[in-house]
Amino acid sequence: MSRSKWLIVFLLVGVALLSVASVLAQDNSIAYNSYASDPLPRAFDEKIVAAWNEAHPDMPVQHSIINHEDFKQAIRAYLLAEPAPDVLTWFAGNRARFFIDRGLIMDISNTWEAEGFGDSYAPGFNALATVDDKQYFLPTSYYWWAVYYRPSLFEKAGVEAPPETFDQLLETCDKLNAAGITPFTIGARFRWPAAAWFDYLNMRTNGPQFHVDLMLLKESYLDDRVKATFANWQKLIDRKCFVEDPAALDWQEAVDDMVQERAAMYLMGAFITDSYPDEMEEDLDFFRFPIIDPAIPVGEDAPTDGYFIAAQARNPEGAKAFLAYLGSQEVQQQAFEELGRLPTRTDVDISQAEPATQKGIQLIQSADYIAQFFDRDTTPPMAEVGMDGFMRFWDNPADLDTILQDMENERLRILEEESDQ
Amino acid sequence: MAATLRLNRAQSAASRRRRINWTPYLFLLLPLALYFVWIIAPTFYTMYLSLTNWNGVDPVPKFVGFANFERLFTKDRTFTEALLNNVRWLVVFITIPTTLGLGLAMIFNNEMRGGRWYKISFYSPLVMSLPVIGLIWGWVYHPRAGLLNGFLQAVGVADPPGWLGDRDLAIWAVIIAAVWRQVGYVMVLYLAGLKNIDPSFVDAARVDGANRWQLFRHVILPLLAPVTTIIVVISIIDSLRAFDLVSIMTRGAQDTQVLANFMYIEAFNNYRMGYGAAIAVVLFAISLVFIGFYLSRVIRDELEY
Repeated sequence: MSRSKWLIVFLLVGVALLSVASVLAQDNSIAYNSYASDPLPRAFDEKIVAAWNEAHPDMPVQHSIINHEDFKQAIRAYLLAEPAPDVLTWFAGNRARFFIDRGLIMDISNTWEAEGFGDSYAPGFNALATVDDKQYFLPTSYYWWAVYYRPSLFEKAGVEAPPETFDQLLETCDKLNAAGITPFTIGARFRWPAAAWFDYLNMRTNGPQFHVDLMLLKESYLDDRVKATFANWQKLIDRKCFVEDPAALDWQEAVDDMVQERAAMYLMGAFITDSYPDEMEEDLDFFRFPIIDPAIPVGEDAPTDGYFIAAQARNPEGAKAFLAYLGSQEVQQQAFEELGRLPTRTDVDISQAEPATQKGIQLIQSADYIAQFFDRDTTPPMAEVGMDGFMRFWDNPADLDTILQDMENERLRILEEESDQ
Repeated sequence: MAATLRLNRAQSAASRRRRINWTPYLFLLLPLALYFVWIIAPTFYTMYLSLTNWNGVDPVPKFVGFANFERLFTKDRTFTEALLNNVRWLVVFITIPTTLGLGLAMIFNNEMRGGRWYKISFYSPLVMSLPVIGLIWGWVYHPRAGLLNGFLQAVGVADPPGWLGDRDLAIWAVIIAAVWRQVGYVMVLYLAGLKNIDPSFVDAARVDGANRWQLFRHVILPLLAPVTTIIVVISIIDSLRAFDLVSIMTRGAQDTQVLANFMYIEAFNNYRMGYGAAIAVVLFAISLVFIGFYLSRVIRDELEY
């Protein structure tokens, strides 16, 4: 008697679970995982999802926003899960290529063709989407990096114009220091802002081609050219260009140094304006990272973000429809107007853009080469050891040889393991 | 009627006997299955992964033998640093919070005005999750606007340190945040221990003319020994699995790496699952020594009673 009772309870629970599972399996929703966790991008992301859900009540989007750093760490688990989330945000370039090569990203060539993306996306971004003539990735926006500064502080210190060459930059540091203003602030507690310094100094010292090869682990970190990059970095440190404890602040906290007039400049991405008080943005401008050697081509960092569909998506049809929406002119126009992210489509109206944005587009279009960013261009373990090395250099420049040896060891290890596989 | 009753009783007695045989196992079946699926199997799977160089994506992990361990112990400076930081953490944890917690327990064990409030205020950090504590202390250590440097500047220190940004101080700054939380925990454990001490021992010692120090040193402290053992072991295990504070406050930058966070970075940031698994296995082996010691103590004590 008691045993059969148990059995009945057991069966009932089982049936209940099964019916829940089948309800889940039948529903037509689209799972969308996004890393837009900073306040402004988050609000925008929620807004475009809400607009979709209003228009498509039969195919609602289940939206999960995951902290940017956590997302990067969880993505492999997402992609291997069955079913995987349908649509995900991600970085264009090497980081996407890794998953495409392993068959974890769905081919969206037919959507690409049906939506006419081939014509409406700028050629460079078509190339970023394509592997072996098939499209996998939908690049939707990018932003520029530059030296942000406060013109009023330059004026106060007697700096007439933003520096265009490295020598002028060093002079600017001297003048600002003389006026009691820290030249550069940096918030490298989580290290990546330091990588921007390496990117720019290396591209300006050795040219973009060497930088790319270094990122792809084709060049050695013991190369004299890398040492030349650090020698330039050393000059900046010697002239006291940087805030005293670069590792103490988070990148957003370092913005306060500019707001509170303690520091005049910050090498940062265009998203700095998300964290900058709106009412003070009139006194915030940017200039191209100064040229060190005028003979070599100019490279800029312009990380590109976008979307893809997981190969193991549960609802590929819904995902493609949602992707087409995310890549549409309307959404890009909105993203451009509200977030100031630069559009990858050529048919977005940018004539109404603020002068700052026009200037940013100009900055990128005049560059000879566009890099993604240190931790997107090179492999994750290399980026980890590299960023650690940059911070060690910052604390103790005399250790440079050991630091470079550590980076070189990591490069050789990665190459060795790759050739094993 | 009476016969039926007797029969029923006999039946139910029989079924009770039968039930005793299999009911515990039936109840244990589900927990044991879960325990196997969620604890035992992953442990062995991790051990297997530590012998591979799996990147988290490839369908078949490649077997590399003990190469991961060899690299950890011979070439990886971060591993040495993390191990050293765990040792620092451990040494601080078994000394400072234990001493402070015992002191506080001795004080608050006496009836006093507002004693309950003090106890609650020392205990309250423990109800906050570690990430929250990490955030709070991140603000305390903020070099410009933080509580600590604000105070230092107010008392005239011209150039206070950058704390979490300072390579020599960062790990200690993180450990202090952990100690802050641990003190209340130790205090509560000792308070419970003190309540269990038979007052007649204390009275007897007083009658024999022991002063306060002798009373503490020769009566109370020995009677607290079982609690002390538990606290030391808990402190060791807590310091070995230190992760949250480092992850939140520095992510292991500025020489603050600890084994658990190092494992997390290698496995989930660098996508080196095999290498991360090897770190996990080392951490497991170290923990096992202390857990074994703890269990042997507990089992021996149980046998004594």
